[in-house]
Amino acid sequence: MTQYILRRLLLMIPVAFLVTIGIFVLVRLAPGDPVLTYAGEDKDPATIAYIRAQLGLDEALPVQYAAWLSKALTGDLGRSFQTKQRVIEAITERLPVTIELGLTALLISVVIALIVGTLAAVKRNSVLDLLSTGFTLAGVSFPNFYLGLILILVFAYIVPGRIFPPGGFVPFTTDPFENLRRLVLPALTLAAASTAVNLRQVRSSLIDAFGQDYVRTARAKGLRETAVIARHALKNALIPVVTIIGLQVGAIIEGAFITETIFFVPGVGRLAVQAIPAQDYPIVQGVVLFSAVSFMLSTLVVDILYAVLDPRISYESAKA
Amino acid sequence: MTAPALPLAVPLPRTDPTSSLRYFLRRNPRMIIGGAIVLVMLFVALFAPFIAPYDPIKVNIADALVPPGPSHWLGTDDLGRDVFSRVLWGSRISLSVGLISVSIGFFVGVSIGLAAGYLGGTFDLLAMRVIDALLSFPALVLAIAITAALGPQIQNAMIAIGIVAVPGYARLTRGQVLSIRAREFIVAARTVGVPPLRIVLRHIFPNITNALVVQATLSTAFAILAESALSFLGLGPQPPSPSWGQDINYSQRYLANLKWWMSAGPGIAIFLAVFGFNFLGDALRDALDPRLRRSG
Repeated sequence: MTQYILRRLLLMIPVAFLVTIGIFVLVRLAPGDPVLTYAGEDKDPATIAYIRAQLGLDEALPVQYAAWLSKALTGDLGRSFQTKQRVIEAITERLPVTIELGLTALLISVVIALIVGTLAAVKRNSVLDLLSTGFTLAGVSFPNFYLGLILILVFAYIVPGRIFPPGGFVPFTTDPFENLRRLVLPALTLAAASTAVNLRQVRSSLIDAFGQDYVRTARAKGLRETAVIARHALKNALIPVVTIIGLQVGAIIEGAFITETIFFVPGVGRLAVQAIPAQDYPIVQGVVLFSAVSFMLSTLVVDILYAVLDPRISYESAKA
Repeated sequence: MTAPALPLAVPLPRTDPTSSLRYFLRRNPRMIIGGAIVLVMLFVALFAPFIAPYDPIKVNIADALVPPGPSHWLGTDDLGRDVFSRVLWGSRISLSVGLISVSIGFFVGVSIGLAAGYLGGTFDLLAMRVIDALLSFPALVLAIAITAALGPQIQNAMIAIGIVAVPGYARLTRGQVLSIRAREFIVAARTVGVPPLRIVLRHIFPNITNALVVQATLSTAFAILAESALSFLGLGPQPPSPSWGQDINYSQRYLANLKWWMSAGPGIAIFLAVFGFNFLGDALRDALDPRLRRSG
């Protein structure tokens, strides 16, 4: 097992290396001279040359890349052009907010998908099944930013008493109730699309499992239907679901960019979106790098989890 | 001595040439629904200048924030611009970004996939690592990063979404090529000295088009959704161009005043366009590529 994890980590290195080159090139492609942004009002050529040298932008591109990479590996992603705050600090101080939102969305998505997906598979072709199929079709096609606006309109402005506020964030440590109240709408918005994908996967995996011999055997030996579903069918059907849920981490990271913007949630996604028009490239670069690394690690965790859950997948064969 | 039995000719009933098509469509209602939505969208995009009742960018303050009614079917925005006309014109941007970016992804991704699958070796290894690197980014984050770097313009949004689409085509094509290149007809073509480029283009490519058509339809749905998301974040076409995502973003400031109609038209238009391509893609997958058929 350890060998398998190590091997997967080693395979990640060249890909991560290419990812860093990609991000570096993207930032260098960006329009405008970051030195001019950094210099602000001071347009004195000597000052500009000094800042250029200080930022290392007078070196050849490969040298600049090597310098940036060696700093990035130690967690030094530079400083924001706007606030002069260290990029790593800007990200880490907003990270708990994004993680809380992402985990809540993932939890909503998984719980709804498991309950509704199981019921839809058990009561195939029922009204619930048809409704869930309709939801899965609509869920993957509905733009989450429009869904967010509909939720704000309904719950913050139309329904009397403003059950849920239109946006903002209160830390859990300050006021747990208000924190959760403000989290409901953004989490639902973020969860919608991944719920649709997960629900579809749970339903079709379970329907596949119901046709398997081990389920027929379980029924034939007289087990109650709930036991057949929970202990046999669902347990095996969840293996492919784990992969799909893992892949939803990427959807949740990208969804956070939009959801945090709509609901004024001070997370990592909103940090990047605000940095784009301000041409604050170190922030954009840092957040994109952070997103890519998180996505790669989540994919790795899913692969490992998949191997743990499914005894048919052996680490030895995975090496081949 | 008996006469030799003649082969018996059984006259086949005359078949209506459209009956097989009708049978196919009856078995694939999703194809009809998805195809109809896509066709209507394409028609609207092509003929928007003739269908739109008003100029989509003409400011008319006297008609500002009029709710939906007979004169303005989807109401007007705060500048008195007709929302319905903006939705119709917006379809031009969304569909053109969708189709052009998918074409970029298709051309680049399929070329890489064909070369990697057929040549193998070092090229395959290097190309696939680059594809893995592209897949390491959440798709929309990569599109946002590329558009932010190149500048918020519609052409850059097309390039960004096109690049994001490349890995899907490259991996699919490579996989298909690997499964076909060992088949007898390819070995035969190679044996008689057909040049590699001709083998790839005339013998391999036609055999993988079904899977690619499915991928192209589904990735158009993604491209439309991604374009609207980029426009929503201010990274697509700039005002006053009518754009679905940008118009939804603009409508946010009037949400508290319950001017819901400003975003309803563009929101439903995005949903319908994405839904149509997704539905059509799913139906095409079932019809053209049985191996990819969904269970349940």
